[in-house]
Amino acid sequence: MSKRGDGAAERVLGGLLRRGAHLLDPHGEEPPDGGVPVLWWDNGEYPARSRITASFAGGRRRLLLHIDRPDGEGPTVDLSRVTAVWRSRPSGPQAHPAVTDPTQRAHAELQAEVMLDGVGSLLPARWLPGTRADELRAHNKVLHLARAVDLGFTVPDTTYTNDPDELAAAYAAASGRLVAKQIAAERFRIDGAPHRAYTTVVTRRHLTSRHRLRHEPVILQPYVDKAVELRVIVVGERVFAAEIDASGSTAARDDWRHYDNDRVRYGPHELPADVARRCARLVADVGLTYAALDFIVTPAGEYVFLELNSNGAWGFVELWAGLPVSDAIAAWLIGTPAEGPAPTDGVNP
Amino acid sequence: MTDFAEALESGVELLRALPRRRAAVAGARRAAADWAARRPWLRAQLVVDERPGTPVVDYDLLLDHPDGGTVALTAPSEDGVPWLVDHSTHWAAGHLVSVDGVHVSVPQALTMLRSLSRRDASPYEEIVDQCLIAAAAEDDTEPLTAEELQATADEFRRGRGLRDRASTLAWMAAAGLSGDRFDAYIAGIARRRRFRRAKEAELAPARLAARPEDFARVRAVWVAAPEPVTATSPAELLSAPTGTAGPGADAAAPAGAAGPEVDAAAPAGGSLDGLGDLVVTVATRWEAELPEPLRGAPPGRVVGPVRGDDGLFLTGAVLARTPAAADAGTLAAAGRAAFSQWLAERRAAATVEWHWT
Repeated sequence: MSKRGDGAAERVLGGLLRRGAHLLDPHGEEPPDGGVPVLWWDNGEYPARSRITASFAGGRRRLLLHIDRPDGEGPTVDLSRVTAVWRSRPSGPQAHPAVTDPTQRAHAELQAEVMLDGVGSLLPARWLPGTRADELRAHNKVLHLARAVDLGFTVPDTTYTNDPDELAAAYAAASGRLVAKQIAAERFRIDGAPHRAYTTVVTRRHLTSRHRLRHEPVILQPYVDKAVELRVIVVGERVFAAEIDASGSTAARDDWRHYDNDRVRYGPHELPADVARRCARLVADVGLTYAALDFIVTPAGEYVFLELNSNGAWGFVELWAGLPVSDAIAAWLIGTPAEGPAPTDGVNP
Repeated sequence: MTDFAEALESGVELLRALPRRRAAVAGARRAAADWAARRPWLRAQLVVDERPGTPVVDYDLLLDHPDGGTVALTAPSEDGVPWLVDHSTHWAAGHLVSVDGVHVSVPQALTMLRSLSRRDASPYEEIVDQCLIAAAAEDDTEPLTAEELQATADEFRRGRGLRDRASTLAWMAAAGLSGDRFDAYIAGIARRRRFRRAKEAELAPARLAARPEDFARVRAVWVAAPEPVTATSPAELLSAPTGTAGPGADAAAPAGAAGPEVDAAAPAGGSLDGLGDLVVTVATRWEAELPEPLRGAPPGRVVGPVRGDDGLFLTGAVLARTPAAADAGTLAAAGRAAFSQWLAERRAAATVEWHWT
């Protein structure tokens, strides 16, 4: 389930086809030589260009998806036969263009979202990373940090708060080396221009507007010195670790999401086995089959857990660090062992 | 209330009322100057904190304390803006341009400016082109070979006159690149180079088949001058204007190569009185790369003088023409032409967003 043009989906599709899967044809027919049929569908096509019916009558349950193609044709898929669902980058339901009133569009899209959640919960399928509800729950930083602590990860002293009185106290506790982060990464606008709150190194200037904290909870953590940052990708039981060395970049030093690729080095990283096991366990513990975990490796070699992204990006881990994530996802979806380098080569079992 | 207490209260009110936008700073300075002029004993100064990547500014007011020392006032008001929103940056802060979702940071752009290679393109165009090629090459995960990296590094250094270790290190220091970063930078160029070469090889045969007339090898002579130069035969063009560019130059051209040419600036004087500086070129070119008036001209016939877009008059003649053949040199030229067209089409269809214009 992903929007058209999603490069990650293209790569995974390649892995599926190499394993003998085939894309469902426009009529929903399966080829005579078998192989696992694959449907690339975006929930952004629903309800405008797809029809879903769930019926319970006469002791029978029907779960049908019909996709309307521009030529009037289109496959009908029996959703009760779906064995695995990958939510890559779904667009989210979109009302038909004929529905023009914004409130009515929002209404139609909410109905569609609830319908999809309900039908999804009835599929006899494995989900990656999980259902929408699973993803939302696990993505919550308060929840997954608490679970990480329970599992023995090293985490920075962390305060989640909207209490202005906490700010100067946290600043003092961090000896003036404090960072602030959003609880949920969302864009917003200032004077009409899209803005974003990256990881912010807190200065004394920030303390002078402590009253603003009342308006939104934030995360406060001491600045953790880093040798490198890690993005750890968990796919089922497989764990891939890419290190990100942004020490040479002024722009990306405090937050690699500034992507300054000429000055940031990416490469595979071999995780200690116990850390790798704990990563897989955390992801399963929060109810997911996939997640992207962020760590700092301190100059002393300590692995400090920062956060879990329940559908976090992995494309750069494959492209820039050379780790075969798409193949692992394809293998998970189709239910076969993944190909790829030995577990010790930046990839841990 | 003492004068100082009144000043503190009034200063806080001033700060709370100042508009917190970069565009309004001049007005804020005037308001603060008026306020300060009414209280000269405070020696008040407004400090403007303009943060990068956001239109939001902060203000402080510095005052003299009656007993000596400085008092710094800051007084953010309750305007309902959440804390991290107030301290956020434009999502593309630090980015110069985004091309089809590929973002170019300011440091990357600065590095690109140091490595731009095409004289026929503006820096704007070349940055966009680099982004398009990088995006198209993104799916290539095949590791680069040592030979590819070495060839790219050699080409890069030659192009910038970095002929030894010392000059290369100096360039790296000026660009702010460490050894590792330089290697990564060269690897990026090598990947784009590999993509470009593969694409050229892929597109070349069809381009040659579709437009063989563009890839005839043409030996020609032409004179460009600020005033019209007339000639009745190619021989006049080869010998008369300067006496330095003539058939002798022809012998220098290796068979099958588009390229070697002789340019000579002729001093005004003698029979050339009144012509000003002129340039004589004797060269072998692909048909499509000849000066426009000579394309398709029959050998031996003088063309011109014709005034060009650059204001110069061109007079010339085709000396010989060899039809296109599918040899390596011709296919390479066809590949380059096809790639240019492919890139132009991508550029026309691309979504380009310059963030700081």
